Amino acid sequence: MKKILIVDDEQDIVESLKFVLEASDYTCYCAYNGEDGLRMAKEIMPDLMILDVMMPKINGYKISRLLKYDNKYKNIPILMVTARSQEEDKLIGEETGVDEYITKPFDLDEVVKKVEEYLK
Amino acid sequence: MVKILLVSDRQTKIEEYQSFFNKVAYELICTTNETHIIDLIKVDLPDIIIIDSETKSINLKSLNKKIKSLTDNVIIILLTASENIEKDLVKYANAIITDTMSQSIILSTININLRMKNSLDMLSNTNKDLADSLYRLNALYSTSSQFAGTLDKTKLLNYMIEGLDKTLSFSLTCTLSFCTEEKPVLILNSLYEISEELLTAIKLRTLLNYKSLFEGKTLPFEIDPKNLKVIKNIKYPASRFTFTLFQFDNMFAPISLGENFFGCIEIFKETQFSAEDATCFQTIAQQVSLPLKSATLYQEIIETNKKLERLERLKSEFISIVSHELRTPLTSIKNSLDILLSGRCGEITQAADKFLTMARRNVQRLSGIINDLLDLSKIEAGKMDFHFAPTNINTVIDYVKSTLSEVAKSKGLVLETETENNLPKINADAQRLEQVLTNLVSNAIKFTPENKKIKISSTLINSDDVHINENFKETTKLAKGNYIQVCVADEGIGIEEKDLLHVFDKFAQIENSLSRKAGGTGLGLPIAKQLLEAHQGTIWCDSELHKGSKFYFVIPLN
Repeated sequence: MKKILIVDDEQDIVESLKFVLEASDYTCYCAYNGEDGLRMAKEIMPDLMILDVMMPKINGYKISRLLKYDNKYKNIPILMVTARSQEEDKLIGEETGVDEYITKPFDLDEVVKKVEEYLK
Repeated sequence: MVKILLVSDRQTKIEEYQSFFNKVAYELICTTNETHIIDLIKVDLPDIIIIDSETKSINLKSLNKKIKSLTDNVIIILLTASENIEKDLVKYANAIITDTMSQSIILSTININLRMKNSLDMLSNTNKDLADSLYRLNALYSTSSQFAGTLDKTKLLNYMIEGLDKTLSFSLTCTLSFCTEEKPVLILNSLYEISEELLTAIKLRTLLNYKSLFEGKTLPFEIDPKNLKVIKNIKYPASRFTFTLFQFDNMFAPISLGENFFGCIEIFKETQFSAEDATCFQTIAQQVSLPLKSATLYQEIIETNKKLERLERLKSEFISIVSHELRTPLTSIKNSLDILLSGRCGEITQAADKFLTMARRNVQRLSGIINDLLDLSKIEAGKMDFHFAPTNINTVIDYVKSTLSEVAKSKGLVLETETENNLPKINADAQRLEQVLTNLVSNAIKFTPENKKIKISSTLINSDDVHINENFKETTKLAKGNYIQVCVADEGIGIEEKDLLHVFDKFAQIENSLSRKAGGTGLGLPIAKQLLEAHQGTIWCDSELHKGSKFYFVIPLN
């Protein structure tokens, strides 16, 4: 079973993503802040990550950069969840290595579809 | 008293004239000493010089020359014994008298010349006054030109003092200014240095003057002389003024216009000020008030603008933050509804499905509003990114038609296009134009009843042939040139003329209950307008109530 790591400080969103992804037979791991997310990514070596941008301690872009510059993890696809705020737009300035952006509020079915595409 | 100098060595003549002038009380000085004559002319110029041509003890020709070189302002009368006079001497003479003339003729000759001299004196004085006035006028003119050229209050006060210097050449001006710095400041423009003791006295005097302007009223500013800031501009710092300064002639004037009080000024001069000086002083002090007022207003406008800009920025930031904060909970709501509706949590009844669907539809609407708000705030803040590229408008139209024809069909509407072939490409952001057109067509679908038609058309048009609805002519100005024009025409409910002008206002349709029923954010059209303006284009509409609306937009070819 493919492993998906969901990192978002918004528990409700993590919950719903986990629900639909597990229903599609993926194993989900959840982290609720950037630090845990980064640590778990290295421990678990997930097949795909769903990352929120705005998170306490380490934001999503930073995690993405740290992983994508590391040969060991650079092949993990990253789907970035964004609320398109000005603050987030500013952060995006540099190369982030994100594979796909998902704008809030997103469609759960579409997320599942995208995950399937990356894990085919 | 009339003063007459007689240059003669004929004793008889001297005596004759002495007794003669004594009678008419004219002062007579007789000498043939050249040094004495020159001194007299230099120090105490006689009104008339009578030169006796018979004088032998002095060279008359050179004397005449010397006199003329020293002054023009003297009458020379030549006295002769014979008819035979030397030509060179006649040249210098204003009149000639002879020994044979009677006393009364001589006196009348002298008096005529005296009167002439007085008239000349008067004329030359008037001329001098005129020249003075002209100079003063010029100075006033150049000062007022300077006033008109700036909105800097410090400069305005400097120009005022420069103007006073040119026209009145003062010893000292004390300007109490309330308008150049946050706190009142005393500006001293002085010829000589001012000691601390004198400065204290000047400060107290200026404050007394200032208070005298507001007797019985409240002062615009309370001033403590100890804390009053002083700016000194000294022309010759090597010398010092003493307390005799207060014996100088002085004038004082407020610098104010109506309710606006900018300060006051006192001016000192060692010599007396004339009535004209006083007028000049008052004029300059008054003249500076108007530009000071303009400068104050200008400053206020700048500050208001800054405030508005800050508010505008805050608004944009606020919208951005709010929309971010709204999106996250909205996502959770939407996800929950989606999961419930998908049946993954078990069967749902028909009634539950109806309400869950209703909730999901409104979540969608809310998220649309947030997107529109964010778009609008981005455009208004100039942060919207545009990707301009050569774009075929018909491709945009085809794309919008393909995405919306299903929606139209489901409402029983026909969506057709009428595009001109081979239209030149425009420099545009295709995605943004799709957004504009999608909005216009969605509106048309929303407001058109069943079995009617919606038509999208495109054409190449010159600015001269563009027909803009009367209601928009004022606000829509097109530069000369060629444009691509797109029209979305529907056969819907139409817009009342009184509402026509407001369709591009933010949240305009919220007023309209029907449109609320139709759903929408009320931001679609203002966004479309802004997006088109970013393309140097414009949008307007024609509409007839119950018959339908036509929305036009144009984008320039270059």
